[in-house]
Amino acid sequence: MARGIGRVLCVALFMVVSPFVLPGDAQQPVAGTKVTQVTGLPGVKNKTGGHLGVDSGNLRFSHEEAKVDVAASSVEDVITGNDSQRLVHGTLGTLTMFAPYESGRFLSLFRTKLDTLTIKYRDADGGLHGAIFTMGVGKAEVLKKEMLAQGAHTSVPIEEGATTTPAAKEQKP
Amino acid sequence: MTRILGRGVAIFLVSFAAFTAPALRAQEKQPVKMKASAIRVAMIESNEIKLPAEFQVSLYEDLIQQLQKKGGFHIYREGDRNSENAADLVTLRTTVRGFKEGSERLRQVTTVAGATSIDVHCAFTDKDGKTLLERDIKGNVRFFGGNLRATYDFAKKTAQVVRDNFSPTAGT
Repeated sequence: MARGIGRVLCVALFMVVSPFVLPGDAQQPVAGTKVTQVTGLPGVKNKTGGHLGVDSGNLRFSHEEAKVDVAASSVEDVITGNDSQRLVHGTLGTLTMFAPYESGRFLSLFRTKLDTLTIKYRDADGGLHGAIFTMGVGKAEVLKKEMLAQGAHTSVPIEEGATTTPAAKEQKP
Repeated sequence: MTRILGRGVAIFLVSFAAFTAPALRAQEKQPVKMKASAIRVAMIESNEIKLPAEFQVSLYEDLIQQLQKKGGFHIYREGDRNSENAADLVTLRTTVRGFKEGSERLRQVTTVAGATSIDVHCAFTDKDGKTLLERDIKGNVRFFGGNLRATYDFAKKTAQVVRDNFSPTAGT
């Protein structure tokens, strides 16, 4: 009888504790930098938002539908740049074109700065691919450093001590 | 009587010429399409013009996407080892001859200023390196969209040139 009660208590305790344990393992924070893939990754639509990170020798772009891995050693060139976009962009930004008194044009004056990360890499057959990502200011150089550490190559080496300042960018398109 | 007859003949000749000339011109315009089973796209070269890396990659990727969408050819990327065995392979080499980067902000605010344009020389060669076709194609973005939209415009025009001048051989 006492053994039976003990078993029931054990099961009950397990049921009470398990909800606190299991979600902790399942909901790991999404690794990587929040980016928008402009073009280039196979199987990913242009202008898809997701997270880009470098993990165990791979550049990993993950979004809702799938994950795409590119071996860092297959990356022949990593180049950073900068760009800008409208503060109000997307569908809402398009709709502002019809706003009265040319207020859409006025809104175009307000823009946010972006970093761009451009990579060139080879697939298994030796075919050359290119991919472009945009992300928040100062994040492209960090990603580039991580990729170079994992075996990627670049035609524009990173200057020491010049990682996140805008002046450190190789180019200004 | 003779004068009326002469006028009638003249009117007939003029109207005959007016109706038949466009048809003849259309026949002249249609080029004989070259056969190709596959197209290999080389990475965009810009030795003379300093082109930002994102424009170079965007030109290349847009070109491949548009060629895959239109045409019915097998498209190979630069360096793809499988392309070496392809029969009737045509290689597309592109060189940037001019680049003017505009401003999206200026386009949106003024409508008439801030256009981005890219001038690209396209050369289609066969396996032996013999030039089959050469064209200068321009990509523009004048009103809507970011600067990279100019590369999409160029890619669409190039895919149309391919469609107009090459026909896919059987088995592609």
